[in-house]
Formats: sequence, C-alpha cells, structure tokens
Amino acid sequence: MKKLFHFAADRYTKQGLWSLFLMSVFPQHLWTLILVFRDMSWIIKRTNVWDAIGNASYAMVYAFFESVMVFCVLVLMGLITPKRWGVNKRIAFLTVLFLTAAIWGMVSQLLYLWTIWLPQSVLQTIAETGRPLFMLYLISLALVGLTVTLPVFTFLVWKKAIPVTLDFMDRISTLSTLYLFLDVVGLVIVVIRNLS
Amino acid sequence: MTNPINRRDFLKLASLLPLGVAAPRLLKTFDDPSMQGQPKNVLVIVFDAWSAYNVPLYGYERNTTPNINRLAKQAIRYHNHYAGSDYTTPGTATLLTGVLPWTHRALLGNEEADEYYTTRNLFSALPDHYRIAYTHNKWANTFLRQFHREIDEYIPLDKLMLESYDKIIQQVFRNDEDLSSVSWTRNMRVNDEGYAYSLLLSHLYEDLQAKKIKDLLKLFPRGLPTTGSDNGFIVEQAVDYVAERLRAIPQPFAGYFHFLPPHYPYHTSKEFTDAFLNDGYEPIEKPVDIFGTGGNKNYPLKRRIYDEYILYCDKEFERLYNLLETSGLLENTVIVLTSDHGESFERGLNAHNIDALYQPVIRIPLMIFDPGRTQGMDVYQSTSATDILPTLAHLAGASSPDWTEGTVLPPFSPMPQIPDRNIHVVRGYRIKNGHDPITIGSLIQIRENYKLHYYYGYEQTPGVGVVRLFDVKSDPEEMNDLAKIKRETAAELLDDLKRKLREADEPYRK
Repeated sequence: MKKLFHFAADRYTKQGLWSLFLMSVFPQHLWTLILVFRDMSWIIKRTNVWDAIGNASYAMVYAFFESVMVFCVLVLMGLITPKRWGVNKRIAFLTVLFLTAAIWGMVSQLLYLWTIWLPQSVLQTIAETGRPLFMLYLISLALVGLTVTLPVFTFLVWKKAIPVTLDFMDRISTLSTLYLFLDVVGLVIVVIRNLS
Repeated sequence: MTNPINRRDFLKLASLLPLGVAAPRLLKTFDDPSMQGQPKNVLVIVFDAWSAYNVPLYGYERNTTPNINRLAKQAIRYHNHYAGSDYTTPGTATLLTGVLPWTHRALLGNEEADEYYTTRNLFSALPDHYRIAYTHNKWANTFLRQFHREIDEYIPLDKLMLESYDKIIQQVFRNDEDLSSVSWTRNMRVNDEGYAYSLLLSHLYEDLQAKKIKDLLKLFPRGLPTTGSDNGFIVEQAVDYVAERLRAIPQPFAGYFHFLPPHYPYHTSKEFTDAFLNDGYEPIEKPVDIFGTGGNKNYPLKRRIYDEYILYCDKEFERLYNLLETSGLLENTVIVLTSDHGESFERGLNAHNIDALYQPVIRIPLMIFDPGRTQGMDVYQSTSATDILPTLAHLAGASSPDWTEGTVLPPFSPMPQIPDRNIHVVRGYRIKNGHDPITIGSLIQIRENYKLHYYYGYEQTPGVGVVRLFDVKSDPEEMNDLAKIKRETAAELLDDLKRKLREADEPYRK
C-alpha cells in the first residue's frame, strides 16, 4: 500500500488530483441536472414540490458518488501512463479520455431522448448483409474507435493540446465547484427527508 | 285403486302453500353467511392497471383471458364497474376505504388516506377474520402500512421481490424508501427508457443486474416484471406463497393481494411474448384529446405488449384458483377479482395517471366467484369500487360500515338497487398538500346510460372548464359528444356533480 502511495505520488500532485476530480464532477453533474429539471414538472404533478426537490437531491448525491468512482478509475488509469510524462500532461490526457467517454454517454442517451434512429435505407443495407447484428457492432466499434483515437492522437501530436486542455479545465472548475456545493445542499435535504 | 290424496290431505297440503311460496326467499336468507354461523373467507385479488376494455368478457376482440373466461362462467360478472380514480394511490384507497378520492383525500402519488380511515377500512370492517395482505405496488403498500394495525399478517413488499441492488438503497434510506428508490431508478435504469441520470455507471449497473437474473431472463425475454425500479419479481412466486399462506392461516380469513401486472413495464413471460404479433387486430382510431401528449404512433405496439402481459396474469390467476380448489379452500371462499384502475392507449393518452378519464382508464373488470355458484350471472348496471368493501362485509357476515359510500352489490344486496344511481370517478389536485379543496380536477358522473366528463382548473380548460357527455351504452367508444345536443341532461348532471364536489370539499375550505 505504501509502495502504491509512493508510486502514485510520483505521478500526481495534490493540485493535479483536485483538477482531475473537478473534471470528473463536471459532465456527470451537468447531465444529471439537465434530466432532473426535465423530470421536475412530472414529479411535481404526480406528487409535490418537496418530492421533486428530494429527487434532485438524491440525484446529486448519487452523482457525487459516481464522480468519486470515476475519479478513482481515472487515477488508476493514470498510473499506467508513461512515467516521463509530466503531471499536467497526464491530467490533461485523462481529461480528454474521460470527456470523450462522457460525450459518448450523452450522445447514446440523446439518441433515445430525441428519438433519432438510423435511416431506413441504412438499416436496409445492414439487414441485407445477412449478419445485421455483427455489422451493427462493427460499425459502432469503428465509430467509437475513431472518436477515441482521433482526440488521443491529436493530443499526442499537437503541441498546444496540453495548454488548451488545462485552460478548458480551469474554466470548467468554477462550474464543478458550484456542482459540489449543490451536492452538499442535496445531502442536507436527503438527511432531513430521512430524519423526518 | 284408491285415490292417494283425499280431501283432508289436500287441505293439509294447501296450508303449506304459503310456505312453498316463501321458501326460496327463506332459503336465500339461510344462505346468507351471517345466518350460518360460519363466515366465508374473502379474498380480493387485484391486478394493477387492468382495463376492462382489454378483456374479451367485456367485448374486447383479442382473447387476452382464455382461462378467466372459462372460470368466470360460474362467476358474477360486472360489466360496468368503475374504479375510484385513474391511478394507484386514489384508486386503491377507494377500494380499501369504500369512499371516493374526494372523501379519502389520497389524491397525490404515494399519499396516505385521511387519518379517519386508518381505523376505518376493508380490514377493520372484517374484525372476526384473519386479515392478511400483500402488494407488489409501493403506492398501494403505503395504505397497507397505514392500515397495518387492522391487519393480522402484513407481508412486507420486499418479501416477494427478487434480490436487487435497489433493496440496498431502500434499506439505507428506509424513511424515504419510495423517493430514494425512484431517484435511484432514474439514475441507473438506462435500459428502461433509454436514458438515465448516470452517464457511465448506469451501463455497468445494468450489466451487473442482467448477470444476476440471467437464468430468469430466459423466461422473460422483455425483462423481468418490475415495479418500474429494480424490484424484479415473478408472479409465480407470489401465487405460490399466497396459496401456501392461505392454507396455513386460521379461517375465516380475509386476504387482499394486489399484484403489479399488467402494470407498465409490460414484461410478459416467454410463453406469451409475441402471442398477438400480426394478429390483424386494429383498434379504432380516435382523435387526440386536449390532454393528449403526442400522437397515437406507438400505441398499437404498446397495446399489444400490454395485452400479452394480461395473458400472463390470466394464467397466474388460473393457477391460484386451481391451488385453492385443490386445497379445498374454494368451497368456503369468496374471490373478488378486480383492479385499481385501467390503462389507456388512445387519443394521445398513454397508460394511466392521465387527466382525461375515458372508459379504458376507469372501467375495470370485476368478477365475484361465490362458492357453490354453478351458474354465472351478468350484471350490467353501473357499479363502483366503493361497493367492494360493503359487499365483502356483507358476505363475510359482518355489518356494512356506515362510513362507506358504496352499496352492497347485486345480487347480494337485500335491498332493491337504485335504478338511477350516480357513479363517480374522481381525479383531483390541490394547490398544497393536506387540507385544501380540490382546485384542479377531472370528474366523472355516470347515471344510467350517460357519462358526464367535467374538467376544470387545467391550463387546457380555461374559464368554466370543459364538459362532455356520452351515451356509453350506445356509444361505448365515446366518439359522439352530446353535451351540446342534450344540454338539459348535461346541465342536470353537472349541477349534481358540482354539488357533490362542494360537499366533499366543504371540510377543507378555510
């Protein structure tokens, strides 16, 4: 354990970890808030305002725990990046990876929310291959692979990638801090609901 | 050969004539359980969100209930039976208290009934019975918990649920179990609606959950029946448990078992998956209502998978019936088969808990299986969910409570039925919780053939509200609004309805 701690200490600084944590918080909380507000009127109509606030509070608490878990996974992933990388590069790289995954998470759900389906002609073509499921997986893999490879490649070859990413992280950190404040408010409301 | 009956014998026999005339009536009196000293067991089986519209016994074209059709040949079949409201909370409260939502005031989701009914309900009305109750439905469970002092054996909801991670959330937040669980579902169940609050963990979570129930999933290709959250269950387990408990508990018993199917999500078993696929059934196209959201595009599919879920209920009801028959309990048990509200797939009105109260969402099945009855019977007069409680009290030999708003159902009622009785269905909102009048409402009044809809307080119904009138006997699909043609009838029914609402709201006016 001590060895692991030292191993990690070589690769991260406190400031770097905090920045990474704030980045873990951002997409998850943003998405949660969007959907919570979407559900607000539905819950108020069926129960009451207090329950709608309660739902939002639980959602923020759950989002916080998800952010912590994502953060832990990212930190562990960072440990297998090259040692010669500086802390900033490592943090920026992990951020790019995570944001790509989060955007894919959002897109996959937006397809349902906006009821976007593949055009009939494309479906027809896939069906005509005789192995439609295999083809769908293949197309998905190619698409996801491309969207991960492209930003990672750009990150590695583009000199300005690190400062641009860090600058973006800096701007986002204020919002993430606000989300963390909302988490605390949510936790207080959850406690009140469970005490009463 | 001598005449076997002389004049004296004839006169003796003639004196028995009045007795002969009175005998059937007298025998009927002796048939009354209260006169026998051996009260009957009563068993209420509720299938949640089960619309009479989708039952062939009431005219539906698809054969969704082949087993119930057969069993019901010996039952009393009520063809115009109405729920108290259009979703679980007010509908179940009406069933259990025998009063309408504007009286019990459980109007919003997961609310309890007015405190007055904590000791006045179906269970308190049967004090000499061993009372046992269970439900899969969280909102219905709220009432079982509210009335638990009147129940001898309250079976906790979790008892007949499969293991799930959702249980952990419910245990951690046990004082706020319902909402924490709803929020957890919204966070994690990405497969249900295609989206969830959680971006990444939801997918991992669904995979873990699927692995846990891998074997059962083979039997339920559309997913396990759930309460909408993680709480998966299978009705087979519930039916086996109920039959086993009923055999073990003291008699007479009064059981209330409220199963969730065919409530959404419509996850039928493999046996019935696609049973109605391409069967050629085409529902009547109806215009989108003012409360409708979206069009009717997905309704044929939703209706089909709902109908296939009813097949599952039908099979499990038959199994329960057979288990009771085998154990001999059926000989002394009255079974009431019904629902708490219906389900809609028309006019842009999806499922239930909707503001417009057309027939599919409020007209529900009611069948009473009375032991010893060999001939079925059809009752066409309108009846209400408020009638269940007084009827069961009567059948169990207890006196009918004076606080119920229902009447003993035909043919059990010793009193003649009121020919122009009003039946009401109530959906209401208040500005705040607690003691407030109903400021927004959807109200129905049915008298003889006429059904009056009255909607007020909604943004879709500005001013004095919207009134519709249908002759549901000649126009059961409610296609021809008669409100402007039969103005007098509409006005009379509306005045009556408003007066009833004022009376019900009176204690809640400041």
